Amino acid sequence: MTRLRSALDGIAAEAPQVNLLDAAIAGHRRRRRATIALAAAATAAVVGLTSAAVALPWRWGAAPPVPQQTAVVPDLPGGNVGVLSHAYRTPCKRVAEPRGIDCDDVEWRVVTAAGKTYRVPQALVHTAGNHDAPVALSRDGHTFAYYSRQAQAHVVRDMVTGAEVTVPLPEEEIEVGSMLAVSDGGRYLVFDPREGTRYPGRLIDTRTGKRTTINGKYEPVTIKDGVVQWIRYIKTDLWFMPVAGGGKPVRFDGRFIAPSELAPDGRTVVAIDGEDVRAARPMLTVLDVKTGRTGRQVAVSGLPSNRGIVHPTRWHNATEVEVRYSGKGGWALYAVNVGTGKARLLKKYGEVASLTLPGEAAGVLP
Amino acid sequence: MDRHDGFREFVLARQQALMRTAYLLTGDAHLAEDLLQSVLIKVVGQWAKLARDGSPEAYTRKALVNQYISWRRRPRPELPSADVPERAASSDEAALDRIVLRQALAKLGPKQRAVIVLRFWEDLTEAQTAEVLGCSIGNVKSQTHHALARLRTIAPELAHLLNDPEIAEVTR
Repeated sequence: MTRLRSALDGIAAEAPQVNLLDAAIAGHRRRRRATIALAAAATAAVVGLTSAAVALPWRWGAAPPVPQQTAVVPDLPGGNVGVLSHAYRTPCKRVAEPRGIDCDDVEWRVVTAAGKTYRVPQALVHTAGNHDAPVALSRDGHTFAYYSRQAQAHVVRDMVTGAEVTVPLPEEEIEVGSMLAVSDGGRYLVFDPREGTRYPGRLIDTRTGKRTTINGKYEPVTIKDGVVQWIRYIKTDLWFMPVAGGGKPVRFDGRFIAPSELAPDGRTVVAIDGEDVRAARPMLTVLDVKTGRTGRQVAVSGLPSNRGIVHPTRWHNATEVEVRYSGKGGWALYAVNVGTGKARLLKKYGEVASLTLPGEAAGVLP
Repeated sequence: MDRHDGFREFVLARQQALMRTAYLLTGDAHLAEDLLQSVLIKVVGQWAKLARDGSPEAYTRKALVNQYISWRRRPRPELPSADVPERAASSDEAALDRIVLRQALAKLGPKQRAVIVLRFWEDLTEAQTAEVLGCSIGNVKSQTHHALARLRTIAPELAHLLNDPEIAEVTR
């Protein structure tokens, strides 16, 4: 053995012991989830490209219901704007010279419950490091959170009173796959710089400035009634953590992904089976977060038949969970009865990018 | 039988060896872990094919090196971040060699560092190194020559490691 080899051996021997098996399988599942979501949204992304310089005659007859790119969209004014329905990003443009896709003009927009759309140019879309910067809406749609480059901070805005609070954060801390969630009333903000990695997440009290660091392997699902719902994709560990701290993770089989928020019964969520995410007839599984038991499965009927992706979110009422659905027509929201599996259409959003709905931790779905 | 069983066996058997390579490449425990984890995520996605072809280890090692080079090409302030132990931690000559070598490796370009690890630690031949790096044998020879020359310049105190007759033979 050469002395160089011996010295390299000595350095290699300092490598820490690792066990990356579960993390690798969990990462694979997370990537599959993202890939499936991206595939479902790919048509939306391509079709959604505005044709600034290239004519796409086959497109004109089939314009998506939203957004209307031709209308002049006003900037988000101060003061009372009203409760928000959703937010989205405008698409990139396909340009002829130089041939390619131009994303310089992409911006965030918000849509109120009354149907008015506003530009939010102050909300950062991409960081200097080219990572996506998400926005978030509280469950009740009253609060909107975004990152402001000018302020170098997250801005939490009450859309009814217009009051704003800033939470300082250097832009470079927004990593690839960052996530954001905001509570009703805007008091709590969850920021995860890089979902599902060792980079710790933060629960921030916007009133006191107190920051609670969270194990980075957990990623946020939502904040509801003073409880932050986290998920860790190794097995499926669900952790309902009161904002004051505490709570214990409950473990389920690792195949469950995309859980809803806690049901009105206070003890169950519904999730989808990651192995079954694009089945012709998706299945929702009821998970009991008090006992850790896997409950009944519900086959969902009434969705379009084009095998889109299904993603449970808020509860609409005691028996129906809201489910995002992305298929050929873009995103839509359905209410699914967890007793019968029957889905009814609530709203169509069309082919928009980064659709952000109230109550969701944003940043995972395309 | 779970479809990940074969992958599980592979990881349990080989992860520590792969981690040592990752650590030599990055010089940082956290980055090495991140690097290996990201590569294993790719491997599990292709496990059925790799197991069928019978070459998961070779694929993994190749992916590890190329992912490392790709990371280094991106502006990442953490890299290189050789976490150099306190010099006072040990005073024997071998420990001092390791400290100086770590510092010197951190100053090499990604491909030069990879070549040093592959040729002088993994003991790969020039042809095998070229296969891993996806370049010509001539390029491996040249990278090795330049890497050793740079190490000699950066750390003349490592001359006793770098002027070993076997190394001279390798680079001839």
